[in-house]
Amino acid sequence: MGIIDKNVMLRNRGKMLLGVYEDEEKVMAAAKELTGHGIPVLDVYTPYPLHGLDRIIGIKRTNLTVIAFICGLTGFSLAALMIWYMNVHDWPMNVGNKPLIFATSWIPVMFESTVLLTAFGMAFFFFWRNRLAHGIEPELLDDRQTDDRMVVVVEAGNVNEQEVLSIYRKTGAVELRERLNGTQKVVG
Amino acid sequence: MAHHEAHHIEISKEQFVVPAKAKMFTLGAAIIGLLLTVVGVFTLPTDSSHSANSHAKPATHAGHDNHGAAAQEAHKVDPNLVVDNAGHETLFPKTTHKDPEHPKPAFTRFWANLLVNGYFFLIISLAALFFIAVNHVANAGWSAAIKRIPEAMLTFIPVALVIVLVVLFVARQDLYHWAHYEHQNIAKGAPGYDKILAGKSGFLNSNILLFGTLLFVSIYFLFGLKLRSLSKKEDEVSKGDLTNFRKSVRFSGAFTVIYGFSFSVLSWLIIMSVDAHWYSTIFGVYNFATGWVSALTIICCFVLYLRSQGYLKIVSDEHVHDLGKFMFAFSIFWTYIWLAQFLLIWYAQIPEEVAYYYDRFNDPQFKFQFFLNVIMNFVAPFLILMTRNNKRNPLVLSIAALILITGHWNDVYLMVMPGTIGSAAEVGVLEIGMFTMFCGVFAYWVLQALTRRSLIAVNHPYIEESAYHDVGP
Repeated sequence: MGIIDKNVMLRNRGKMLLGVYEDEEKVMAAAKELTGHGIPVLDVYTPYPLHGLDRIIGIKRTNLTVIAFICGLTGFSLAALMIWYMNVHDWPMNVGNKPLIFATSWIPVMFESTVLLTAFGMAFFFFWRNRLAHGIEPELLDDRQTDDRMVVVVEAGNVNEQEVLSIYRKTGAVELRERLNGTQKVVG
Repeated sequence: MAHHEAHHIEISKEQFVVPAKAKMFTLGAAIIGLLLTVVGVFTLPTDSSHSANSHAKPATHAGHDNHGAAAQEAHKVDPNLVVDNAGHETLFPKTTHKDPEHPKPAFTRFWANLLVNGYFFLIISLAALFFIAVNHVANAGWSAAIKRIPEAMLTFIPVALVIVLVVLFVARQDLYHWAHYEHQNIAKGAPGYDKILAGKSGFLNSNILLFGTLLFVSIYFLFGLKLRSLSKKEDEVSKGDLTNFRKSVRFSGAFTVIYGFSFSVLSWLIIMSVDAHWYSTIFGVYNFATGWVSALTIICCFVLYLRSQGYLKIVSDEHVHDLGKFMFAFSIFWTYIWLAQFLLIWYAQIPEEVAYYYDRFNDPQFKFQFFLNVIMNFVAPFLILMTRNNKRNPLVLSIAALILITGHWNDVYLMVMPGTIGSAAEVGVLEIGMFTMFCGVFAYWVLQALTRRSLIAVNHPYIEESAYHDVGP
């Protein structure tokens, strides 16, 4: 779920309240309960996608499609520019007396270039956006969040902390924790 | 997985009853279309010397013979060079037989239109069957909720087959110049002998045209009936019984293989042979793409309609979104195939190949429709269906669907008309009327077929997966 969230750098955040679960149904219930009480859920970390959860906690749709469109347009224009420069401007090439400027014969190159830049651009921005690169320390809230545990995160500050913790407890969290400046403390 | 306490979806059988309004609208379209067709037929520009049974009259033979004569004359010079109407040698052998002196009989336009519409709805119904099969083979879950719609669409196969067979049986000598040539039975070396057609006659002959079409489509339809009956049986057994589903998967696998290989042959027989001197190795794929994208569009239309009437309760915007994606994606696929055929021929400029596009791309009569084809089947759906919101908006989807269906009709029109009636082709009352009639009949037929079983395949093993289908925000 962290993929879409804007502030993927957890270390930049203040105090957080974590509810650790081992059952997806309980996570869904907790997310509903929290948002029902007007408590914004920062994120939920799960080993596999929970369908419908993104709607419950109100995660915005990814902007990757916009990136794709811009990259595609760039590839398309660059290819057109390249063909124009090479085959029309710099060295006019007569192939079978076909018109020099005729988009139909340019299509394969423009198409391939569009696809290439879209694919590269999306992959690059995806990794960049998610801080996925060699040498970057992954920020796991719980070592088992990639295995069989799910972590619900609420940012402390404008919320009633006791209420959050009681909701965690009520919905069946196996562990409650606080996290501040990278250190965690079990609170229940 | 979202179904726990988030929302529970009730999956129950739904019995569809065709609303009186829908009956009136579809039958009304059929009747108005029929009237327009009749008006169109009676107002055809007639020539007193031509009648419907042209091939029985020696006077009208000249129209067909022109080609043989031209080919024969060409043999003296170069097999690739043909003498055009004005007597000039041209690089392009004409595939269309446009000869102002000897036009085709006016009634041929009626048969050509029947072929366009019959074939168009035939490939749509076949593609609907392919949709079911390919979803079984791919083990797809999302489509389980809408599978009854393509199941109903495939029942139109026999109707379209009968129409196509009637056209082929009655009017093949008017529509296919090779069939007329075959009828003439010209000996080798005699005047009018056509080496190319004679060489192809082992495949391109009336027997294979009629029996091949009948055989292929009958086999497809038998598979369709089998898949339909297995799906119906599934409704009656207890939930969790996978016997019918497993059988369906096996039959689907066999069908996809048979259909994949033989559909090309079918398209060569019925459509590519209109321009018998010409050939394209990608033609079968191109025809498949046309039928497939049209079928997906029509499935989407029925889903939108049934939802608007309160049916298909388990079908959500997610399914509609997926169908919109299909329409978008396969419009691009169609364009890819269309361009692959066009671009290579255009660039290589080999006379016997380029003749096909010479008639469509360079001829002012078809030029507008040729470009319209790309605009309606690529540019419009590409721009309209690009954004996510548009794919989830029933109104926008309907507009795109209307453009796509008309556009692909135009596509088939462009495949058939230049080679059959050439200069006599025109989109007039007859064309519009007959297309309207076919749309009305098809829609009525499918709506009736939908009433014959529950709209929801409640015992389909993937029905729950389909009900909770979610493509995310």
